[in-house]
Amino acid sequence: MNAVQEKNPLKRVNAEVDSRWTGLVERLHVDRSARRMLLLVVVAFAIFAALKPSVFLSGINLQNIAISSPEIGVIAIAMMLAMLTGGIDLSLVSIANLSAITMSTMFTAIAANNPDQAEQLFPLIVLVGLVVGLLGGAVNGLLVSRLGITPILATLGTMQIYNGIAVAWTGGKTLYGSPAALTSIGQSTVGGVPTLFVLFVVVAVLVGIIVKRTPLGLKVTLQGANPTAARYSGINSRAVLMSTYLLTGTLGGIAGVLFLARNPTASADYGASYVLLVIVIAVLGGTNPNGGFATVFGVVLATLTLQIVSSGFTALRLSAFQYSIAQGVILIAVMVIDQVQWRRRPRARRAAAVSS
Amino acid sequence: MTHPAPVGTPAPLLEVRDIVKQFGGVTALGGVSLDLLPGEVLCLAGENGCGKSTLIKIISGAEKPDSGTILVDGQPFTSMNTTDAIKSGIQVIYQDFSLFPNLTVAENVVLTSAIASRRKLYDRRTARPAAQAIIDDLGLTLDVDARVENLSVADKQLTAICRALVDDARVIIMDEPTTALTRTEVGRLFVIVERLRARGVGLIFVSHKLDEVLTISQRVAILRSGKNVVTSPASELDMRSIAEHMTGKVLDESRHVAAIDPESPAVLEVEHMDLPGAYHDVSFTVRRGEIVGVTGLLGSGRTEIAESLFGVLPPQSGTVKVDGKPVRLRSIGDAIAAGIGYVPEDRLTQGLFLEKSIADNMIAASMDGHRARLGTLDKNAVRETIQRLFARLRVKAPNVQAPVRSLSGGNAQRVVLAKWLARRPKVLMLNGPTVGVDVGSKSEILDILRAEAADGMGILVISDDAPELVACCHRVLVVRHGRVVDVLEGDDVDVDNIRKKVAA
Repeated sequence: MNAVQEKNPLKRVNAEVDSRWTGLVERLHVDRSARRMLLLVVVAFAIFAALKPSVFLSGINLQNIAISSPEIGVIAIAMMLAMLTGGIDLSLVSIANLSAITMSTMFTAIAANNPDQAEQLFPLIVLVGLVVGLLGGAVNGLLVSRLGITPILATLGTMQIYNGIAVAWTGGKTLYGSPAALTSIGQSTVGGVPTLFVLFVVVAVLVGIIVKRTPLGLKVTLQGANPTAARYSGINSRAVLMSTYLLTGTLGGIAGVLFLARNPTASADYGASYVLLVIVIAVLGGTNPNGGFATVFGVVLATLTLQIVSSGFTALRLSAFQYSIAQGVILIAVMVIDQVQWRRRPRARRAAAVSS
Repeated sequence: MTHPAPVGTPAPLLEVRDIVKQFGGVTALGGVSLDLLPGEVLCLAGENGCGKSTLIKIISGAEKPDSGTILVDGQPFTSMNTTDAIKSGIQVIYQDFSLFPNLTVAENVVLTSAIASRRKLYDRRTARPAAQAIIDDLGLTLDVDARVENLSVADKQLTAICRALVDDARVIIMDEPTTALTRTEVGRLFVIVERLRARGVGLIFVSHKLDEVLTISQRVAILRSGKNVVTSPASELDMRSIAEHMTGKVLDESRHVAAIDPESPAVLEVEHMDLPGAYHDVSFTVRRGEIVGVTGLLGSGRTEIAESLFGVLPPQSGTVKVDGKPVRLRSIGDAIAAGIGYVPEDRLTQGLFLEKSIADNMIAASMDGHRARLGTLDKNAVRETIQRLFARLRVKAPNVQAPVRSLSGGNAQRVVLAKWLARRPKVLMLNGPTVGVDVGSKSEILDILRAEAADGMGILVISDDAPELVACCHRVLVVRHGRVVDVLEGDDVDVDNIRKKVAA
């Protein structure tokens, strides 16, 4: 039975649109989960654009989506990497905050003596922020790869430690102060697209290349797919895990820079809701929490979907709690659809065999 | 019953008539008919993908046939479900035995039938004697209170047999029952099989091991491409004719060993290697172009020797030289760096990334050898390597992106082999290279090994499959209680000789 030869004209049109759509997406060389996410982005966008076009489609709202996505997206990509090895990194948001607090403190301290010098040292300040991330990741990496502590426990511990350091350091207060250059980057655009979003895309592409096009990326993937076979293939799991957590820590540091670029403030409790949100995004983007399967593209699309829903809810004047319900519903709905597809597939094949 | 059985021949326990089964347009079974008599062992043989597994699933009610009938004691079932099958006395013992590892033998034996009869509570006082009765009845020495996870493979299998008997099994189907057993354990299993036969139980054996097939079964049914090509008494078949029926080709299982250049240097030299508790004072050499077999019973130390040379179990003392240079084997990384590759015994967990593609699996050990200038993978070189090996090893799959899980045992093993050939190791060790591999693939895999040896590789084959060792090995080391007790060479390498030395 060929769907295109369907008698019903409506169904025929539908089938044709379907096949065009899948054909188009297949040409983009993306896998099934990314394809599904692409559809979800379009659907979410269409729904809110239809419900509240005046607010949702306004330039400010679209800018907002583009400015708020990068920091979450970068952390979600880091989460995806940890999950790709079969692990998890709960300490990412704490690392990002610690990095932002370090940068802000450093800037304020130097600026107190010499404001011009503080501005000039902007690249160094950012570098220190990234190093904080790297060090945070190094501790995670040591715990997981050398001591063999389960990632969820190791990073739960370091999350508490990093967050505790941040609270003790700031006294729980919000710090003000950031290099003007960083803030202006946060507010600038490249061809109408916020620079922060461009940076997000650059980070995503780089991580994508690491995952798909380097020996390290393939080792990370295989380590997650079957650690025993990875060992018997000569993959050094310690080195692979260490590299992974160094990378996720550094991405946490980058997220810290993005925090500070977006708002010239830093505090220990910024982005507290991100910890679980990025897990939702990573899984929604097709990451298998057991390891071995993930795409950066899927995670980027999942980030956009949730940001679109978030800003759509704001446009409709719905509360943050209602948004949190929506997050849960989207995650579970996608998982349910996945399950249904898996179960239906053999039966559909059997039906096709009988009818042919 | 419509057709009363003639006097003299017993009525069949199980009849399968004209079973047809298609999957998505592919014919898995194209009208297969079989019968099983009481007190008979029928062997079901065939290459991977010939329809054996599908037929068993249909008989056990796990799959429904598209057409055809199953008769149990002459009573027809057009569509049988698993409960019908168990109630009619049909039990399947799969390769993994489907036991609960965390429960005791008694619990495993009794529990499934208790669940099937919808009993809500488990009574330990009745379970133990019930299980013990069956164990005694079969003359076994199983501890009813032992946890199944602590049992040997052979004892797990016996537990599964006892469980089948709780449900008054009259037809027992065993899927590859001897694959994981040593020769002695196989012997013990066959004694139990004889006892079951004496009680009128009919058994269907699904097996790859042709010599065992011929020892235990009264009749052999051979499937090829979903058709029952022959059913005949075992006495009228030999290993060669079975293999030919299975593959539809004339196969060569005889000894093919290329002469080695007498000047050929040693590629692997092992001197006084020692690991207490595993093996003692092991010394041997493998020359370039040579295939050396290592055989012995399970637990003799043969696997430990290989794992030591691969850095999994670093040796405590002794020296190992590759190409004349001493190497330290503290880790798998050391062994691979020294030019040693290892196709492990447990292909599914140690050898393969099942959910990953053939391409990813083939490149898994040689990624660092395929770097482009910026440290990224050289896509063209990777593709070239994968395509070359995919074609050379003749992996049967739609393309290199297919997940390895979808492959048969023989094709999966080719993928593991490809992973090492992509690195071009100096020494390649293979542990049970053709376990769970169909005969057609088996002879092709041995051919690949011969070709690699001819190309200058040194190959170590660890195996308890005597015909396989005879077919390809220049020399065979016999390991007993952790010591190399014999080295068979030249005309001494023959099946009977190897078996005798192993069991001595």
